[in-house]
Amino acid sequence: MDLTHSSHTHKESFITKYIFSTDHKMIAKQFMITGFTMGFIGIIMSVLFRLQLGWPGEKFLINELLLGSWANGGVIAPDKYLALVTMHGTIMVFFMLTAGLSGTFSNLLIPLQIGARDMASGFMNMLSYWIFFVSCIVMLVSLGVEGGAASAGWTIYPPLSALPEAIPGSGLGMTLWLISMALFITSSLIGSLNYIVTIINLRTKGMTFSRLPLTIWSFLVTAILGVLSFPVLLSAVLLLVFDRSFGTSFYLSDIFIGGQALERFGGSPILFEHLFWFLGHPEVYIVLLPSLGITSEIVSTMSRKPIFGYKFMVGSILAIGGLSFIVWGHHMFVTGMNPFLGAVFTITTLLIAIPSAIKVFNYLTTLWRGNIIFSPAMLFSIGLISTFITGGLTGLILGDATLDINVHDTYFVVGHFHIVMGLSAVFGTFAGVYHWFPKMFGKMMNNTWGQVHFWITIVTAYGVFFPMHFLGLAGVPRRYYTNSSFPMFDDFINLNEIISIFAILAFLGQLIFLFNFLYSIYKGKKASQNPWNSNTLEWTTPVEHIHGNWPNDIPEVHRWPYDYNKPGYEEFIPQNVPLKKGETDSGAH
Amino acid sequence: MEHQLTYSTSFEENKKAHEPLLWIGLVSIIMFFAGLTSAVIVSSTSATWQLFSLPSSFLNSSIAIVLSSVTYQAGYVFLKKQQQSIAILLFAITLTLSLLFVYFQYAGLSNLYQQGIFATGSQSTTSSSYFYILTVLHIAHLFFGLISLLYVSIKTMLNKYNNNNYLGVKISLTYWHFLGILWVYLYVFLSVMMSK
Repeated sequence: MDLTHSSHTHKESFITKYIFSTDHKMIAKQFMITGFTMGFIGIIMSVLFRLQLGWPGEKFLINELLLGSWANGGVIAPDKYLALVTMHGTIMVFFMLTAGLSGTFSNLLIPLQIGARDMASGFMNMLSYWIFFVSCIVMLVSLGVEGGAASAGWTIYPPLSALPEAIPGSGLGMTLWLISMALFITSSLIGSLNYIVTIINLRTKGMTFSRLPLTIWSFLVTAILGVLSFPVLLSAVLLLVFDRSFGTSFYLSDIFIGGQALERFGGSPILFEHLFWFLGHPEVYIVLLPSLGITSEIVSTMSRKPIFGYKFMVGSILAIGGLSFIVWGHHMFVTGMNPFLGAVFTITTLLIAIPSAIKVFNYLTTLWRGNIIFSPAMLFSIGLISTFITGGLTGLILGDATLDINVHDTYFVVGHFHIVMGLSAVFGTFAGVYHWFPKMFGKMMNNTWGQVHFWITIVTAYGVFFPMHFLGLAGVPRRYYTNSSFPMFDDFINLNEIISIFAILAFLGQLIFLFNFLYSIYKGKKASQNPWNSNTLEWTTPVEHIHGNWPNDIPEVHRWPYDYNKPGYEEFIPQNVPLKKGETDSGAH
Repeated sequence: MEHQLTYSTSFEENKKAHEPLLWIGLVSIIMFFAGLTSAVIVSSTSATWQLFSLPSSFLNSSIAIVLSSVTYQAGYVFLKKQQQSIAILLFAITLTLSLLFVYFQYAGLSNLYQQGIFATGSQSTTSSSYFYILTVLHIAHLFFGLISLLYVSIKTMLNKYNNNNYLGVKISLTYWHFLGILWVYLYVFLSVMMSK
């Protein structure tokens, strides 16, 4: 594809190159740094409230140091504990694992892997990042307002979120939460529109859908999920804003405060749950699918084998995406749902096990008898496969109404979703960073520290979340400030201590990553153009970033991206290498 | 610090992405209104759901917006035939009809207010709140359509369109038709769900 006829030169200032950049690679870095910063804040919050859960009522200097008036005397106040839990969930789900993950890798890889100069609209891409940035600032500012940050849980169910007078965190903190989320949704929608259109319209010559890397398939379906589900959350948030600020009653009815009946009637908080979870469940896959795509790419490359069952992998991504829209009711089994409807949601939920199992099977068969290179990226990918299996198994229990009701709102749920969604997405993110760090910064990350980081992370992560299942099965409820007031849970205090110790160690393990990341940017070994001997197009671009990605023509694609150890051919064959006489494209089968 | 870069791109490449951008944007708007109208359906099962009569102004506004779609489409056809003056006239009629639409919406909402059917406050009901919010949200979307219509009209007057460059008009026109269809859907839906 000859595009050089319309090439032109332009100068970039510091501002246009590093701040208001329209280059997808720079925007990817911006998303990564902002998302990871938010993630770090979210993790610190979790360590602080784990101190309270492990050693209820104990004084910790660090609490006072970091939280100030939220923890006078070194003990977190009960209402601020709720604020911490709420903000931890919000920050990790949306700001770290949605924007941080998708924003980083969709931006970095979509144009590079499909062979495009940039996103369809560089301006919209820039806008998406800056709206996201403002939403982060608003969310962080909400931590410092009178009454504290939002405290109704990351799901912000009304009436706690709908009535400013409900609890301390229902005031200005909640208002700022809603403003921040409205901005976040806008940013996410703009970004998703751009991703979809770029993938559909700007693929280079020869890059048919059957030759798309699985990363791109996962980013595409993720973006489609975002476009279809985030507007529904926006509509829910809008109605909530009206209930809070303009005296409507969409989610309110029969409310008494201090014995006084409010003049609100006709609404239903359950309506909010329906609207919220219509986004909420696809959100699980908005978080998870990019990591699954990243893992597919890394497992194949680092096993030096073609991905097993490419078409089934694509099919399962599509099936997971489709099914994710008809399962939201499994979050609401205890809302008085009609049992028949509960059965329907049980069936649709359990159906997701099929494409999920296909993916796991294909990962394992790709690994089978491969020449596996245990790079940090590969280790985190294998870690993801592990958490996807263990978290998926408990998903079968929670997807079944008759079983779910017994453990609803207990630590069993916390353990499940942290493993299947949180850890899987985090592991995918780390895998992606280690794998594409050379593409982003032109340097290699330290391999040894990467391996240390992985082993500390996987051991401590399971150390935190695996025991939670036993707490949940014993009936320990989630979101409680302390369980020390309930003698029946006395036997579990030691387990809570152990969980908290693992949480602290997990946090310390991430400091190794942070050090390795920052050190490698400046002092890392210089990367070669294709350090992993990979087939996808991003490795055909120069190490030095240029706006427009390729200095000359964009390469044409002649084959699928997984030609590793093809019998009778080279060890790896990049996508832009033409087929030899008599050779067929393996991906066409 | 400034950097000298060589940047190769193709205008055609970017241009072909503009229309799909709009279409996918429309899908997200559809989902937004689908969320709200689903909420209406769920809320309508409440025992306190109140019905009221829709003022005739809303029917008038529906006719206005449908006619505006017709005139805008006709203007586009004449523009493509290089008959600028007729196109400008039709765009002006479209603009008038769209303002008429807004006026009728305002008149209808005022009428409801005078009947004691309020958007918010202790005397409002969920059904009346939904009605106000849905109509106003549609007008908010129409605002962007009006800006694009004005933009297209000015560019037509300045003779900026030619045989190879109708993309802006096409995008604006598609959005305008979408707004018309959206309103007709909302009108029928709200009539069924809320009117006596």
